[in-house]
Amino acid sequence: MTIGDPAWRAAVAEALDAAVPGSVELGALDYVEQLLGALDHDPPRIWAAPGSWDGAGGDRPAGAPSWLELGPWERQAWERRIEGWREAYERVAAGRAEEDDLRTVHVHACEGTYGDPAYGGNRDGGGWARIGFPEPLHPPAREVAG
Amino acid sequence: MSTWDCDAVVIGSGPGGSTAAEVLCAAGWSVVVLEKGRNHLIDTEPPHDPLRHFANDELAAHRRHLLGPDPLLEPRSYRRSAEDGDRLVVGEVNNLPSTVGGGGVHADAKLPRFREEDFRLRSERGPVDDASVEDWPLSYDDLEPHYAAVEELFGVAGEAGANPFAAPRSSPYPLPPGDDMPMAVVTAAAAARAGLHPYRAPTGVNSVPNDGRPACTDCGFCGGYGCPVQAKSDPVSALQRALRSGRCDLRPECYATELVLDATGRRATGVRYLDLREHPEPATREVRARHAVILAGGAFETPRFLLRQGLGGDLVGRFLTYHYQTFTVGMFPRDRFPDGTGGERGRSVTHLHDDLMVDTPELRRAAAGAGLPWVRGGVVEHGAGQMPVEEAVTYGAGPHHLDSMRDSALRRRMWVFTMQGEDLPQGSNRVDLDPSVRDVWGLPAGRVTYAPHPHELVASAFAGPLHEAVLTDAGAEVAFSATSPPQGDLDVHLAANPLGVAPASRHVMGTARMGSDPATSVVSAEQRLWGVDNVLVCDSSVFVTSTGYNPTLTLAALAHRATTLLAGAQPSARATASAVRRRKRS
Ligand SMILES: Cc1cc2nc3c(=O)[nH]c(=O)nc-3n(C[C@H](O)[C@H](O)[C@H](O)COP(=O)(O)OP(=O)(O)OC[C@H]3O[C@@H](n4cnc5c(N)ncnc54)[C@H](O)[C@@H]3O)c2cc1C
Ligand code: SF4
Repeated sequence: MTIGDPAWRAAVAEALDAAVPGSVELGALDYVEQLLGALDHDPPRIWAAPGSWDGAGGDRPAGAPSWLELGPWERQAWERRIEGWREAYERVAAGRAEEDDLRTVHVHACEGTYGDPAYGGNRDGGGWARIGFPEPLHPPAREVAG
Repeated sequence: MSTWDCDAVVIGSGPGGSTAAEVLCAAGWSVVVLEKGRNHLIDTEPPHDPLRHFANDELAAHRRHLLGPDPLLEPRSYRRSAEDGDRLVVGEVNNLPSTVGGGGVHADAKLPRFREEDFRLRSERGPVDDASVEDWPLSYDDLEPHYAAVEELFGVAGEAGANPFAAPRSSPYPLPPGDDMPMAVVTAAAAARAGLHPYRAPTGVNSVPNDGRPACTDCGFCGGYGCPVQAKSDPVSALQRALRSGRCDLRPECYATELVLDATGRRATGVRYLDLREHPEPATREVRARHAVILAGGAFETPRFLLRQGLGGDLVGRFLTYHYQTFTVGMFPRDRFPDGTGGERGRSVTHLHDDLMVDTPELRRAAAGAGLPWVRGGVVEHGAGQMPVEEAVTYGAGPHHLDSMRDSALRRRMWVFTMQGEDLPQGSNRVDLDPSVRDVWGLPAGRVTYAPHPHELVASAFAGPLHEAVLTDAGAEVAFSATSPPQGDLDVHLAANPLGVAPASRHVMGTARMGSDPATSVVSAEQRLWGVDNVLVCDSSVFVTSTGYNPTLTLAALAHRATTLLAGAQPSARATASAVRRRKRS
């Protein structure tokens, strides 16, 4: 079973929903996939740049990158971290999840439900809407999410 | 060609290093600032505008280490005492951001001054067994002009006279206080009914447009976040001035690894650093300083830096203090928090009270009951600020999740008094070098050994019930208290405490204490390292006692004083010049 194939997706979705009910409908699986593939993009999809609201005077240039650059050492750390998560999700998908893997699934389900939609989850802010959390005044850029 | 690259090298660009750089540049010195973290704050090219990398983004700030340090690259370790073995925890141990601007970027910038008594605690209150309570080698009066200067530099917003316990001031706050959080008004009223004296927190956040930056928008993503609109002034204002002088060369991603000493070993001539823009083999470079090297890496990293070279004597790293935090949590009925009145909007804390810093018969009785000569609590912050991802993670996995989130005990119904309790200095509490954990560049990680003194526990036990009663009077259905570091069963806390077992305090102090005698201190009253006296320490390492007040304004005032003395400038004239420059620009 490889990351992103239908069986993998089904198994991971089930684990995410068990951790945070309703999270998959809100985009948690997309969140996990975006996270595991974050370094395949340039800039990597680790830190979203500020959105076009630009509360400080409106001069954030149109078309400015939507993601911040990682430094080389930060990239090294994120490669290691993501590699660890890919292995964890492979175990989850294969039905061999360890306690730490389920903790990771839970944390990602929370992030993918209540983190900013820029990261692929919390579809249309639905995670916030269901708990009455107000839309941020100064959200990150969301245009390239997904 | 000159053999010097600059007049002074500053290691670290947090509030201490930025203030030092600003003072020295204003005095005409050329300064190189080495910062090991990345730059998300300010353009190093003229006109040095803010970089605008920050948004209201819980994931980037809290879960993805945007401001560093990444614990996979720079782990730290913690143990309570040697009985825990070499370490109990490896990873994040009271990390402050490692980035241009240091912890000032994350802080929500409550900037109170210390009081007169804080500088002469031994004389005023007397010694305490098993603690090293000493007077500082300077007085409040010595520091007052520098407090005024840094308040001006940071544009502190506050209300002179609102705190009856505050020390005398020579000038009003530069800016009026910012907006109140609605719930803070409720808890402040309850505190006043209980005979306490709450007041609006002096804050390094623009309450009105100032210094070319806008006013706070009360966005709610404050403590723990970079400000999206640059309304936080500390330390961007100091760095920007230093850079705009044309005499400051700010070098991000430059990790200072050692002092370069002359043949006598008693004078620093520069600093060696790793150029972290290079990967995987960062080059070692050197920057040569004609006059001085300023250590401002923070009270965790400064002793780690000195210990690697065996500089500063046996006391380096010892007398580590935090604030022993007592959180009194009130759970309110949902209708007490209409939309937007909890921690989801506003700064994280808008009101304080200091009553437990003052000598009272009740506190004396509590001390006597525990066999202590006295106890002091700390400043109490009225606030909240839980964000939904953090909240969700805390509730745990399973079918209860949605009900817990909708009930939202930790976000929509919670208000917290955080007492930043005075932590007495003990020689056994320290930062040293971990015997085997290393950072990714091969340097030994810093290790904390820390356990509280009975004084802290007594003050905490006194504060808890008092504040629970105040929150109950304010309308809380349930009120309880907890501490950091936690007390009780270690295994339970290791498994489930969201704050962890190491102290969660981000107020780190005392690890290169100042004094008049080299036998009992690491730096002099001018903050010069005994033995290598053109090296100055300009962060909270130099604190002699921790007091119960947030440390940043004081460490910046000390940096201001030490570098003003170094450069031979006059603080009052400089403060005036700063004020004139600011008013011209706004
Ligand atoms: C969420 C939060 C809220 C806070 N709220 C408050 C508050 O309300 N009031 C208050 O007073 N304080 C507050 N603090 C604490 C405050 O941030 C610190 O007191 C302050 O930042 C310390 O300043 P400093 O300059 O001594 O060190 P730091 O801010 O830690 O800066 C040191 C800098 O030096 C760099 N550095 C270290 N070693 C090296 C090296 N070898 N080479 C190059 N660079 C190096 C680091 O990367 C860092 O950027 C808060 C902190 C946090 C995290
Ligand atoms: S609350 Fe104000 S100061 Fe704090 S981050 Fe938001 S805008 Fe900035």
